[in-house]
Amino acid sequence: MISDITIGQYYKGNSFIHKLDARAKILLTVLFIAMIFMCKNFLSLGLTFVFVVLSVLLSAVPVKMYLKSLKPIIPIVIFTAVLNMLYTGGETVLYSFWKITLTAEGLTTAAFFAARIVLIIISSSILTYTTVPTMLTDAIEKLLSPLKVFKIPVHSLAMMMTLALRFIPTLIEEIGKITNAQKARGADFESGKLLQRIKAIIPIIIPLVVSSFRRAAELADAMNCRCYTGGNTRTRMKQMKFCFKDFVSLLVFCIGIAGVVLLNIKFGAVI
Amino acid sequence: MNSTLLETKNLTYVYSKGTSSQVHAIRDICLKIEKSELVGVIGHTGSGKSTLIQHLNGLLKGTSGTVLLDGKDIWEKKSDIRKVRFRVGVCFQYPEYQLFEDTVYKDIAFGPTNMGLDRDEIDRRIREVIYYVGLDESYLEKSPFDLSGGEKRRVAIAGVMAMQPEILILDEPCAGLDPKGRETILSMIKDYREKTGSTVLFVSHSMEDISKIATKVLVMNESRLAYYDTVDEVFRHADELRNMGLNIPRLTKLFLMLREKGYDVNTNVYTLEKAKQELLALLSKGGTDK
Repeated sequence: MISDITIGQYYKGNSFIHKLDARAKILLTVLFIAMIFMCKNFLSLGLTFVFVVLSVLLSAVPVKMYLKSLKPIIPIVIFTAVLNMLYTGGETVLYSFWKITLTAEGLTTAAFFAARIVLIIISSSILTYTTVPTMLTDAIEKLLSPLKVFKIPVHSLAMMMTLALRFIPTLIEEIGKITNAQKARGADFESGKLLQRIKAIIPIIIPLVVSSFRRAAELADAMNCRCYTGGNTRTRMKQMKFCFKDFVSLLVFCIGIAGVVLLNIKFGAVI
Repeated sequence: MNSTLLETKNLTYVYSKGTSSQVHAIRDICLKIEKSELVGVIGHTGSGKSTLIQHLNGLLKGTSGTVLLDGKDIWEKKSDIRKVRFRVGVCFQYPEYQLFEDTVYKDIAFGPTNMGLDRDEIDRRIREVIYYVGLDESYLEKSPFDLSGGEKRRVAIAGVMAMQPEILILDEPCAGLDPKGRETILSMIKDYREKTGSTVLFVSHSMEDISKIATKVLVMNESRLAYYDTVDEVFRHADELRNMGLNIPRLTKLFLMLREKGYDVNTNVYTLEKAKQELLALLSKGGTDK
């Protein structure tokens, strides 16, 4: 279950999207999400859908991977859709039974919400599948660097994020080891009431926290030994370059957003 | 004596079965561990030692094959698997990282409490095992996090001993300790077995350590059981062991070389004392060839 987490998972590849500048990709994802939320009728939603499909194809990441990232949020999608279906008022009653009334408006809203969630997950998955986590945090640092004017330690924040991502697999492995050790001493994680189960986690959490602190201290020492100082004086091994193709992609997406707005105005809103 | 306590029959375990990354961790292991043996387990990194151990107390279930404890399949009743873990006590590598209570006393009590023993019995066992691991009662009220690395490890081992398992399994109990620490742990294992008469299995990367205290050696190689025999018998296969990337003790190597040169010496030499006797015997014969 814990190994199903797809956050920060990188899918090795050499596609057009893999080669885009990480900063461009973050901006594109933001534009994508904006686009998804601006859709007001099925035509503009269709246009957005075409954009998503094209991006998925361009990323050369197997569709199976995207489905995997969707799997954990299926319950949320269904929950949202059902709630919207039942609680959106409307005139066009399609079906009525006891206290439940289904309206055309309700169905439309439900479909829109479900589509939005699915599209957002897919578009952000494109970003994480095609970008190495370290590049991602580098890009965030660069994009946030104007905040330095307000004395916000952007570099340190980005470094913390890189390290946090780096240690996810390590901690998962550690949890496995500690769980086995406590099971060997007869710890029971599978039975008992809720409170007992919560209590049963303590023998795992405490060693995990202790060893995280130990790791953090060791890492800090190792960084000190290599004279890490952080801040503005550091240079990068991989310089980020904003190329022609990055500008073109951004331009294409801006046109896409314009298209969505036009379609919204021309054919009216259904939501 | 000499009745089988733990037995594996054609035990095989496959990681990620059915995918492209399918790996056999252990293959077709048939093994009989007799009561009161002190077994040293050795093998290359990745030879399947740790996987085998996790099968013996039911943390892993074999893809095929069975594990018998006292002649009964440990997976016969799935709900009884915790009882198996109390009888087959396993202490993993670097066990000091599993301590979690605020006093040594409470941490050692974790296992026995899970067994559902009453408070007096738990107290009695704690006061017993703390001496087994070479510490004393003054440690019981200390926080485990204030102890030194070696002491932490001994407390963790005591936590498994307190369950009074019929068979105690230690995965590399000496890893990362200095020579004195290793010595302490080894003599602790030996004393424990002599005092309680229980069966002990310990994993080590050092043939020296194993030859010092073990009655039997289990050699794993490329996920298969290579040898399981007495120390003398196993070391007779010096060349094969070397091909597996394992080393025989340096003293034994010396005597093998002497034998090769044509001197009449025994080669089952693992301790300095024995080496001295052999050399003196050789010299008294005039130290001549054959």
